Amino acid sequence: MQTIRREIIDENICVLTFDRPNSAANIFDRATLNELDEHLDAVAADAKIAGVILISAKPAIFIAGADLHALGKLGEGDLRHFIELGQNVFNKIAALKIPTIAAIHGACVGGGYEICLACDYRIATPDRATKIGLPETKLGILPAWGGSTRLPRLIGVPRALDVILGGKTPPAKQALRLGMIDEIAPREHLLRAARRVIARGVPRRKKGALQLPLVNAAIGSVIVPAVRKKLMRKTRGHYPALFKALEVVTAAASSWNENDSFARERDAILELAKTDACKNLLRVFMLQERARKLVFAPDVSAPPITRVAVIGAGVMGAAIAQWLSARGLRVILRDIDAERVAAGMARIAQLYDAGVKRRLFDKREARDGLDRISPAAMEVPLDNVDLVIEAAVEKMDLKKKIFAHLDELAGRNTIIATNTSALSVSEIAAATKNPGRVVGIHFFNPVHQMQLVEVGIARETSKEAAQRALRFVQKIEKLPVIVRDHPGFLVNRILLPYLAEAGRFFEMGASVADVDEAMLDFGMPMGPLRLIDEVGVDIAADVAATLAAKFPERMTVPNVLHGMIAAGMLGRKNGRGFYLHRKGAEPVPNRDAEQFRESDSAAHVDRAELQRRMVLLMVNEAARCIEERVVDEAADVDFGMIMGTGFAPFRGGPLRFADASGITRICAELAHLAEVAGPHYAPCELLAQMAESGKTFYEN
Amino acid sequence: MPDQRLVIVDGVRTPFCKMGTDLARLGADELGRISVNALFARTGLDPQLVDEVIFGCVAQPVDAMNVARVIALRAGLPEHVPAVTVHRNCASGFEAITQAYERMNAGHGSIFIVGGAESMSQIPLLYKQSAAAKFSKLARAKGALQKLGVFSRFRPADFQPRIGLQLGLTDPISGLNMGETAEVLARERHISREEQDAFALKSHAHAVDAKEKLAEEICPVYVNGHAVLHDNGPRPEQSMEQLAKLRPVFDRKLGSVTAGNSSQITDGAVALLVTTEQKAAELGFKPLGRLLAYAYTGCDPARMGLGPVFAIRKLEESTGLTPNDADVIEINEAFAAQVLAVLQKLDNNVPREHLNVNGGSIALGHPVGATGSRLTLTSLKELARRGGKRALVSACVGGGQGAALWLERD
Repeated sequence: MQTIRREIIDENICVLTFDRPNSAANIFDRATLNELDEHLDAVAADAKIAGVILISAKPAIFIAGADLHALGKLGEGDLRHFIELGQNVFNKIAALKIPTIAAIHGACVGGGYEICLACDYRIATPDRATKIGLPETKLGILPAWGGSTRLPRLIGVPRALDVILGGKTPPAKQALRLGMIDEIAPREHLLRAARRVIARGVPRRKKGALQLPLVNAAIGSVIVPAVRKKLMRKTRGHYPALFKALEVVTAAASSWNENDSFARERDAILELAKTDACKNLLRVFMLQERARKLVFAPDVSAPPITRVAVIGAGVMGAAIAQWLSARGLRVILRDIDAERVAAGMARIAQLYDAGVKRRLFDKREARDGLDRISPAAMEVPLDNVDLVIEAAVEKMDLKKKIFAHLDELAGRNTIIATNTSALSVSEIAAATKNPGRVVGIHFFNPVHQMQLVEVGIARETSKEAAQRALRFVQKIEKLPVIVRDHPGFLVNRILLPYLAEAGRFFEMGASVADVDEAMLDFGMPMGPLRLIDEVGVDIAADVAATLAAKFPERMTVPNVLHGMIAAGMLGRKNGRGFYLHRKGAEPVPNRDAEQFRESDSAAHVDRAELQRRMVLLMVNEAARCIEERVVDEAADVDFGMIMGTGFAPFRGGPLRFADASGITRICAELAHLAEVAGPHYAPCELLAQMAESGKTFYEN
Repeated sequence: MPDQRLVIVDGVRTPFCKMGTDLARLGADELGRISVNALFARTGLDPQLVDEVIFGCVAQPVDAMNVARVIALRAGLPEHVPAVTVHRNCASGFEAITQAYERMNAGHGSIFIVGGAESMSQIPLLYKQSAAAKFSKLARAKGALQKLGVFSRFRPADFQPRIGLQLGLTDPISGLNMGETAEVLARERHISREEQDAFALKSHAHAVDAKEKLAEEICPVYVNGHAVLHDNGPRPEQSMEQLAKLRPVFDRKLGSVTAGNSSQITDGAVALLVTTEQKAAELGFKPLGRLLAYAYTGCDPARMGLGPVFAIRKLEESTGLTPNDADVIEINEAFAAQVLAVLQKLDNNVPREHLNVNGGSIALGHPVGATGSRLTLTSLKELARRGGKRALVSACVGGGQGAALWLERD
């Protein structure tokens, strides 16, 4: 299979066009690297050639990096060979005596950017599709085809660390500012721009102080300890790739010898590839890919959704409307009075302002996004919208009323979705005459940060509605997980027992710091009590109550939440909850909440034990989701928890964690806890069976 | 009349807010966009069906030329739908409607978004020509020395701005400011200060009483987390004593035209959906009413306030209709003196109980490019409330013109 075309154009310029057959992407697998190697030998052997241009024939991808599917499967020996092959081929490019130009359009990431770093000059298009960078550390590895060596030499250690440790893939404009590329040219002129550079000679880059090894050694000695400390605080040491990358990058910039640095890259990646963290992170990456391509009903027609109405301009409604409008959809934002709509519009404007500050879009794009929203404080016709998303308060009576009315207002082909996090879609659908078009589309808070959306499918939901909802979620750049209509769907169902237990620990005297630190140590992005504050104490209690009503034998709402709500401690939204929240300051534990303690029986339980219990409750509930077929596979559970709650990604999700810990052991511990700490710990049927039969959730 | 009769399906406007108040930071493009966006939401009309957007605007924003096109694109009209900005001074909001009518009958489309938008708050201050010339020399000057040389030729007077709003309200032919033309009418027709103030007071009283009725035609504008819901011009506490205290603006010694008995300078926008009777029926719309006839006429620029007289008379000739045939009458209140002069000149043949019943521009304000569309919208809504048949709407036009439209509902 030929993946690269070599041709000689005017002025004896050699163009290598990457065009992998039957694929939208170019990737580096062993065959492609070997093919490239041969091309380069041919180029080196032809003295007439004046320069080389690397370019892609794909509409949205330059080169998407190494073949990750293969990477996950290679044994150590094969991996070593693969890494060395890449390094050698890229070094061949770097060694060519003629100018080498990377002409970049589309995603240029990982190995795709490392090959550019081996070139003399980099030109990229300003298009949206063009993203340039090194995301390897997000997968638990590091750039090992010269990226960790060449980038710091090109742009200096501080910026290189920023890109590599952050796994960043900025657009061309930002990449140019960082020095990652040398020029921006429109797509139509990309080849011409590259030829111009060859004709005029590659401009010599001004060598700044940051290119001098001695300076970098000095910088390294100053910033490395600080960076290491910061990484440690953020990741609690769970992500070894970051520390390895830090080491390799700083060493690369302060030494003269490139070959030593390549060897360090190689050794580091071989070591990292063996870690569970790397395997789990790779798996998460694959699951994201899977979610983007997920199909529910391939045989039904699912006309695209372009016009949407969001009912309710509260925190969720406004955030959903903002997200959709930013993706080019026209959105009606409806609430019952102008004051509520005004508050929603203000929230949306804030989200856009924040997006402009973070350079997610420019001012004009933000204005266009805002323009796409039609605020409606009065009843407006909905027969022309394709989808209605209800995001009202979580009260069943209210939702039923709204749905009965929406059913009348909406056109025949309109899908009506609820953003409920815990109520039954089926029961809501029963309020309509066409329950087939009712579906759950559950966004997570904060909408612009959480990639997961649960597509909740009730028994009544038609295939068309389900497939259209799924397609819609994919189109708006969210990651869907399909869940059946069960209380709390997937994520809240598993999260709530954990949050409730955290509340109970607090109630029994455990300190806020102990409870939250225990879970941060585990690798959660945020402690459970802090999360309750962020969500809102009242909202957490609401969801907990809904679930407690369905599963009274094992779920309860901790009393402390009721006490806090009565005392007006609602969490971050009014500054007081388990923590005191002040603008611009880290929250500190709120001593006033301690008045709701009932005992001190948990005051001396150590963090390891607190962590173990909270994690086991999640594992147990996760297993129940499989048992009750809320989702089809363990991978759905793990994917949902990682993308929906930030469940320690390097652990691969609660069920992967269960496999790794041993089901038998987990089951025994739960049984023991059921005796000493309360019956809600009793292991579920499925776990007990699996412990007995020695089965695991995953095959390997 | 014509093959195609124009019907007004529905309309909506922003609140009208005094210059420098709630809407001051929104340009005419933004105000227009808000009104068109709300019109689409209210009617549920698919923007793909629109044939053209026609908007009146007198002082187009310098950063949004052909503001109608900017409004159209920002309000979500597809790129292939053309848009044009029209300008007939204070009758621009009528011009948008009647141009749609003419387009229909020329076979150029059947569904139009028309209206008017004006931000009088954002009419810029200008540099004098002398200063502008020096600035351009400065830009072309090379080297610090040459620059310094040009710079030294600036005089303090160069930096005194010319006020765009004032220039815009001055008729270049007669050299008179609009207020001065009102003074001419007051003088010649012996219209007293008290008569003018009493008329102004009535305008406020009507507008205050009509607050809820007017709310039907208003879409909220959301500014910084707060909803602007109502016109802010009408003064509930207005009294003759207060009005009497105001000093004449245009003839300080002997004049009678004050800020209190003139229209207010205001920001606002109106959008109307107009189409043919046939199309409205096809789309299942129940129109507010139809355009029966219209006329534009010219007159003495120094007495531009009399414009409606000639337009109304011209329509009488073509249709046989007189003000007595109208259930609702709007004569735009540029100035109390000017409306009173019109009434005089029409031999007091205008039934006063039908005139400007929800207040006029003296209370509600006069965002010049938008007013014609507002008069049309307000009078059609009032016609429905009264169960009336015909409305006559008219306005005087700076530069010496008059405009009048007859509207009708089933």
